[in-house]
Amino acid sequence: MDYQRFLLDQTRRHFLKRNTKGIGTLALASLLNQNSLGSEGARNALPIHIPAKCKRVIWLYMAGGPSHLESFDYKPKLAEMNGKPMPKSITEGQQIAQLQSQANQLKCFGPQHNFSRHGKSGQMISDVFPKIGEIADDICVVKSLNTEQINHDPAHTFMNTGSIIPGRPSMGSWLTYGLGSETENLPGFVVLTSAGGGQGQPIAARQWNNGFLPGRFQGVEFQSSGDPVHYISRPKGLSDAGQEDVIRASQRMNALGDEALDDPEIATKINQYEMAFRMQTSVPELVDFSDEPKHILDMYGTEGADGSFAANCLMARRMAERGVRFIQCYHRGWDHHGGLKKGMEQTAKFVDQGSAALVKDLKQRGMLEDTMVIWAGEFGRTPMAQGSGRDHHIKGFSGWLAGGGIKPGISYGETDDFGYHAVKDIVHVHDLHATILHQLGIDHKKLTYRFQGRDFRLTDVHGKLVKGII
Amino acid sequence: MKHLSIKPSILPVICRFIPALFAISLAHAVPEKVTFNEDIRPILSDKCFACHGFDKNAREAELRLDTAEGAASVIKPGDPDKSELFQHITAHDPDEIMPPPETIKKLTDADRNLIRKWIEQGAEYESHWAYLKPVRHSSDKNAIDHFITKELKEQDLRASPPAKKWRLVRRLYQDLIGLPPTTQEMEEGLKMEHAQLVDHLLASPHYGEKMAIPWLDLVRYADSVGYHGDQLVTVSPYRDYVINSFNANKSFEEFTREQIAGDLLPNPTEEQLIASGYNRLNMTSEEGGAQAKEYLAKYAGDRVRTTSSVWLGSTLGCAECHDHKFDPYLTKDFYTMAAFFADLEEKGVYSARARPPQIVLYTDEEKARIAELDKAIPESKARIPKDAPKEHPERAVLKELEDEKKKVHGAALSMVISKAVKPRTVRVLARGNWMDDSGEIVLPAIPEFLGKINLPEGKERLTRLDLANWITSPENPLTARTFANRLWKQFYGSGISGNLDDLGNQGDWPMHPELLDWLALEFVESGWDIKKLVRTMVNSETYKQSSHPRSELREVDPYNQFFARQARFRLDAELVRDSALSISDLLVRDVGGRSVRPYQPEKYYQHLNFPRRNYQASKGNDQYRRGVYTHWQRTFLHPMMKSFDAPSREECAADRPSSNTPLQALVLLNDPTFLEAARVFSERILAEGGEDFQSRLTWAFQETVSRKPNENESSEMKILYEKQRARFEKDPAAAAEYLKNGDSPVSAKDPIESATWMSLSRVLFNLHEMIARY
Repeated sequence: MDYQRFLLDQTRRHFLKRNTKGIGTLALASLLNQNSLGSEGARNALPIHIPAKCKRVIWLYMAGGPSHLESFDYKPKLAEMNGKPMPKSITEGQQIAQLQSQANQLKCFGPQHNFSRHGKSGQMISDVFPKIGEIADDICVVKSLNTEQINHDPAHTFMNTGSIIPGRPSMGSWLTYGLGSETENLPGFVVLTSAGGGQGQPIAARQWNNGFLPGRFQGVEFQSSGDPVHYISRPKGLSDAGQEDVIRASQRMNALGDEALDDPEIATKINQYEMAFRMQTSVPELVDFSDEPKHILDMYGTEGADGSFAANCLMARRMAERGVRFIQCYHRGWDHHGGLKKGMEQTAKFVDQGSAALVKDLKQRGMLEDTMVIWAGEFGRTPMAQGSGRDHHIKGFSGWLAGGGIKPGISYGETDDFGYHAVKDIVHVHDLHATILHQLGIDHKKLTYRFQGRDFRLTDVHGKLVKGII
Repeated sequence: MKHLSIKPSILPVICRFIPALFAISLAHAVPEKVTFNEDIRPILSDKCFACHGFDKNAREAELRLDTAEGAASVIKPGDPDKSELFQHITAHDPDEIMPPPETIKKLTDADRNLIRKWIEQGAEYESHWAYLKPVRHSSDKNAIDHFITKELKEQDLRASPPAKKWRLVRRLYQDLIGLPPTTQEMEEGLKMEHAQLVDHLLASPHYGEKMAIPWLDLVRYADSVGYHGDQLVTVSPYRDYVINSFNANKSFEEFTREQIAGDLLPNPTEEQLIASGYNRLNMTSEEGGAQAKEYLAKYAGDRVRTTSSVWLGSTLGCAECHDHKFDPYLTKDFYTMAAFFADLEEKGVYSARARPPQIVLYTDEEKARIAELDKAIPESKARIPKDAPKEHPERAVLKELEDEKKKVHGAALSMVISKAVKPRTVRVLARGNWMDDSGEIVLPAIPEFLGKINLPEGKERLTRLDLANWITSPENPLTARTFANRLWKQFYGSGISGNLDDLGNQGDWPMHPELLDWLALEFVESGWDIKKLVRTMVNSETYKQSSHPRSELREVDPYNQFFARQARFRLDAELVRDSALSISDLLVRDVGGRSVRPYQPEKYYQHLNFPRRNYQASKGNDQYRRGVYTHWQRTFLHPMMKSFDAPSREECAADRPSSNTPLQALVLLNDPTFLEAARVFSERILAEGGEDFQSRLTWAFQETVSRKPNENESSEMKILYEKQRARFEKDPAAAAEYLKNGDSPVSAKDPIESATWMSLSRVLFNLHEMIARY
């Protein structure tokens, strides 16, 4: 079912059920016929509910669960408690992941890296992120994030789809469904991935799936080697011009066939071949960084589109410029159950410069105003030691947002002295979703899609706007 | 503007397209006789039940409108103005008006007019249609045409003329075996009576392959576990069980019983144990740090969602955390259903890539070899004298035999099955919270409002077998309707009730409830004979109609809900693949076996870990199997399958969307499977299609779309032929390279001509007509 069908469904019940003879009904049915509107819908958008402050989102997705205690949540008290037993009052009745077997002897683990003040805002940021420190006045650090799932797989699913049941649409799919696309040469929702610095926990394509929304809203993964997009390259032995002959002939032959078949799907298909054809040019142009000056490449810390996180950040900016609505840059490498001190340093090296360069670059191009950058993973890590590392933690963790109408240079929310429970201005995953949608002009309660007899939405029946950060 | 029953938020969009809309009067929308189930229930369900319905914890003002008694308390039949319900829905005071302004739910004037008229006409309340037992409204032998014609007459519509015979032959091939007819099959089909061709195709072993696809989506059959590392799990014998069952026309009753409770049958056969693998098709995890109790709760919920959706067409999953908002399911019902499966031996968190309990299934060759080895080993031992030295040559022979025996055992396929153990305690989990142990302990039971299974004498609790028996018992109104509705979709493009997931209050009102009842009763009374039901559906005149959308139908019935024409739709992902392989004659038509791996982009599995995966495409025959045998990696489904809307099978899927995207174009244009098929097909064109361009093109058209090209098509293809030929003549090396796409050996005698026809074949493979059913 697509958007035209959605439109029609709103009216169908009363107009088409029994009384199909009236002229009014005929006119309505005709005018609302999904086919007469065409079903490719690349630019069809639902109406904006509220004035939009932001047009697109780049989510730097820190997969594995980066420690908030070695990044953005400064906890001097925890340092004092290092090695001492974790108070039962804090952990009683709480979920535990890998520390299950040590549940009775949990010990505090002080922060493993120093923090320093940065910028005019004086935000406390860990020394393993010197470059992010440079953008302290541009970012809003949220220290009170909350999620519901303590294992990687369901936690990713929850962060991306607002549900733990696999098969729901991801946020990027909801956004492209709701806002349409601003490009006819590229998909509206793109996923980039990189890894390095820690254990590479698996991720699933479920994280960028369209769920029950139509397939054109699925996230398209760009590969760093081989074809950037699956099957984008023409077959070996055929020149570009030869391939164009085949595509053009396919379009014309479909059109000729349609003279007898009279099937609106064929017109749609012909348009899809047009986009496929354009992608064959636009994608190679997109991934070719030769038009980027050296100082830009240096700023990100990359030499070309090599699949590194830094390169992906630059790629994200290039996609944003070309109208891609939602871009996710995954970096797998934050699952520091052991060797956290060194591990944080290493993984941070992979992402620090690229993350900061992206914000600076968007800012200098005037794009940060309507582009939201999000830096967060699926959860944080325990204040308790797991050997030389930390376990998964869901009751309080950090992330930051920049641009797209988000207040710059502030911190929002607090955890307790241990960095365990978020205690002030808690931001649940649903609240984060509601706020992102709001900045894009969407009331999260109104962006719905009917499936299995129910109006589903990204925020399920939850979600409240985090007014303090906008 | 306020006369429109359209959400205000979408009005601006509609306005852009249809300024004329505002001229429409509502007078047409209110029927002469308002009926509760058809007109009123959808309004109450959508706008009122959330607060005045089944969920006792969400109920406001002690009022429920989902029961006749509840509704009667606020309605004065015949007098809307004195009915409290009507007063509230027409009130202006924000404290009085219903639904309250703070909810986004709004009644339209059309809704209010319907409710007014309904009350004026006596406010007769009806139970929800799907929960009533089916009633037979016709004694016709094939009543499909009777019901469809009756409704068409009421609508002042006429049926479409029958499709051309060749079109029907192609349609039956696509619908019943999922493969296009070859030119020869077409010629034979044209000579057969329609019903004779139907019987011919129902007897094909490929019928089961076609029928299996939607069933495998429902039960979420896959080759990997889904969570986290998405490790491999072997269940392919279950897939073959499904295919074989459809082919053998196993009664749906037995099919149901074997899957839910095959292991509980007396002396279960190997086949019944394989069928019981159904209960173990859920996603499982071996993620470090996962808590067993939490995952057991996830698996239990998954089973309730799946089983209730597969057999009852119900969204019982909504009751996991609260009483169902729209249907009479209680939270307790969710957990009593889960309790049926509490006897399954399973773990919350598995390890070491094993999913016990499993059984080892030996092929005939393996069995024979083991028997030989079992004989040879003692013989060899006997040949070794006592006190023989270590280097006695027979010792080496013995070792080799013993090693081989181990190897044969190790290579045999081991698959997950159901095994009953002492049932776990099942509690109602408050708000679905698995950490809360305070909830009531429950025993297996069916949803309360659907009745009760009596405890067999001498038994303490109901079993999965009792559940299976109830599912196909005459007391259950849902199963036969659910199955018939989904089967109808396969042959008519959409369900009689449009929502294949949900026959409940929020599902679509069936346009032909009497037809659905008739089909359900026929199905039950035939002894749940699936092939008979298929025959009934595809032998009707309604089925034989042309799918051409006459302009008046396009306006009146854009979704073809009255079935005044046949449907047209794109083939399922697997069948898109099958069609190309079949036309090129690359298709290996074996039935059953282990899953196979088509060509796939490199590094597609790079995000998988524990263990890391290195995809090896199948070699030889296994490369050319039907799509139904494709390795199904839940977290990274084959990109071709994913592009063409195949579900990941992480969850039960009753329906596939049908999208039309640029990614599909890229697959058909550049996926090596389709390139190779076009290349091999070009060899067939040159060998079998005659000598000149026109006869070759005609032959190619017949094979791909079962018809001849017209003049315009021929000249378009001729232009392409000249252009491509000129390119390859200039660069013969490129032609040779082009022909190297795919594993199969290149046999081109004239590479330039072959390469040219390969491009023409690719165009044919990119025709919507080739991958659509008309």
